[in-house]
Amino acid sequence: MSGGRDILVCQDLAIGHGDRVVMDRLSFALPAGRILAVIGPSGCGKSTLMRALGGLDEPIGGRTTLMGIDLATAAGADRQSILRRTGFLFQGSALFSSLTLRENIEMPMREFLRCPAKEIRQLAEYKLALVGLADAMDKLPSEISGGMAKRAGIARAMALDPEVIFLDEPSAGLDPVSSGRLDELILRLRAAFGTTVVLVSHEVPSILRTADFCVYLDPETGTMGAYGPPKDFLQAGQAPKVHAFFTQARFD
Amino acid sequence: MSQAPSGLPFARTEIQADGLAVVTVGGVWSADVALPDLAFKGDRVKVVAEDLGTFDSSLPSWLFARGRHVRQLDLSGLPARLQSLVTMAEKASETAEKPEEFGLLERFGTWGVDSGSSWARAFEHVGQTALGFLRMVTGKAKVNWSDFTLQLQTAGVDALPIVALLGFLTGLIMAYVGLIQLRQVGATVYVANLVSLAMTREMGALMTGVIACGRTSTAFASQLGSMNVSQETDALRALGISPVEYLALPRILAVTLMVPLLAVFATFIGVFGGMVVACAGDLSVEQYLTQAVRAITFKSFLVGFIKSVAFGFIAAWAGCYRGAVAKRSALGVGEAATSAAVLGITFIVVSDALFAVIFNLFNL
Ligand SMILES: Nc1ncnc2c1ncn2[C@@H]1O[C@H](COP(=O)(O)OP(=O)(O)O)[C@@H](O)[C@H]1O
Ligand SMILES: [Mg+2]
Repeated sequence: MSGGRDILVCQDLAIGHGDRVVMDRLSFALPAGRILAVIGPSGCGKSTLMRALGGLDEPIGGRTTLMGIDLATAAGADRQSILRRTGFLFQGSALFSSLTLRENIEMPMREFLRCPAKEIRQLAEYKLALVGLADAMDKLPSEISGGMAKRAGIARAMALDPEVIFLDEPSAGLDPVSSGRLDELILRLRAAFGTTVVLVSHEVPSILRTADFCVYLDPETGTMGAYGPPKDFLQAGQAPKVHAFFTQARFD
Repeated sequence: MSQAPSGLPFARTEIQADGLAVVTVGGVWSADVALPDLAFKGDRVKVVAEDLGTFDSSLPSWLFARGRHVRQLDLSGLPARLQSLVTMAEKASETAEKPEEFGLLERFGTWGVDSGSSWARAFEHVGQTALGFLRMVTGKAKVNWSDFTLQLQTAGVDALPIVALLGFLTGLIMAYVGLIQLRQVGATVYVANLVSLAMTREMGALMTGVIACGRTSTAFASQLGSMNVSQETDALRALGISPVEYLALPRILAVTLMVPLLAVFATFIGVFGGMVVACAGDLSVEQYLTQAVRAITFKSFLVGFIKSVAFGFIAAWAGCYRGAVAKRSALGVGEAATSAAVLGITFIVVSDALFAVIFNLFNL
């Protein structure tokens, strides 16, 4: 864990689809080994932001530096290396539907690791066991529930021991027990490998438990409402909308 | 930092007097090096660390794989952060749930964002395919070889019956039409030349190409198009794998390989179909075969072969391209399949005409 160094930096980032700007004026920096929660109402652009931060979509404007590499100019080997060192869970899980869960997790390993098939199998079984899918390894994605697909997607995102992991709504569709386990898993991965995590979540208790920082995307102003440690927003004060997000959700 | 251990991962077991197996692990653990091959013995195992350097998840997974069947596993001799990763997985296998509901994930396949049928996009895709091919030759591309073997079967071998049927009927029809004309000039023996030349140079490749468009282009377009819908191609891109290389390349290679073979097969079946008609009244089998063998030259065989390679490529590429640019919806997938067949057949017929001109120039 190399504390202090900023692993993810956004400067005046503008994101959207085609010409339509969804969010702009996004500026924040995330130190390595920290956990960032992206929060905000549905449709505000959280998934769009995740894809831009992970280097999957071009931003409309501004600049993102991930692991010291400017995403806008990174090409070829640089880009490969960024993608290889990050993991991504899509909101829709995006499992390979013709492969079993085990094969889904083994696929990136087979492509990128040089270890023998037996060790790959062992790694894949372990990662599936980490997300509680030890008994469903040979099922196809069409044979499992949405919550299980989410967890398999998380296991696939972790397949290559990424330095930065992007999780788009990892706890959506999970039962409270699995969701609690997921928080625990994220914290343990960070403790063991210093993994940096960027996640989208709507669950206030889970955010308070895991996240070091949160960024609130405000659809009314079209930019970020606030950036800071989640605990700061529990007291009424600076950012009323973020405060409302945290406290309202706490009452129900 | 300075005294951090840097050796290869190692593990050894000592069985103590009371039956407790003590496993010592150490070194630097990484999924990129060979891990120790050691099984845990007995049902009481204690794991301790010695000179343990950095590790990735190969170490917890190694411990998990061996420790999960041990009744009494003591990990207290390991660093806390490692312990927590092993026990996390153990808990998972105990509480793993059974499936409750069935999600409807689309079939394997996805990429391309817009439905752009523009020429620029098409050329870009051809370029990516060519580049992917070069990267494959130099061993840099990630190609799904199991798709390749699967497509050899489904686009190649499985097409044999339909290719045989249509090839046979084509030869039969040509002989029938030819005989009507040739009888008038009393030259029925040339029906063998007519059928075999047409099958070799033209109809064998063309029929097979069109069949490939109907069977294979549409299948590829819907496979890859539906992968767009389920974000599977995004998932590939997120791993730094090019969907063109991973999905399109093996398909295009397989079909470009199989269509020429099918075309040769169709040619022979067609010649046979012509024989059935010709020998029903006008010619003897011997006459027909002598004429046919005389008519099929190496040149005309080569012409047919070159064409069939091109047609195979076109059919496969059209499917992969339309799949890649399919709209992200069920409707978009259907459109992709239709337009793949149309695009493939059009390109095949147009290129057939171009080939006619080119071969004429080179006097082939
Ligand atoms: N593929 C797309 N093409 C065009 N617009 C999109 C696309 N995906 C999302 N959008 C739009 O972008 C906005 C942000 O969407 P999204 O990032 O998915 O929101 P969130 O994840 O916060 O719920 C929404 O208004 C949505 O309609
Ligand atoms: Mg979203």
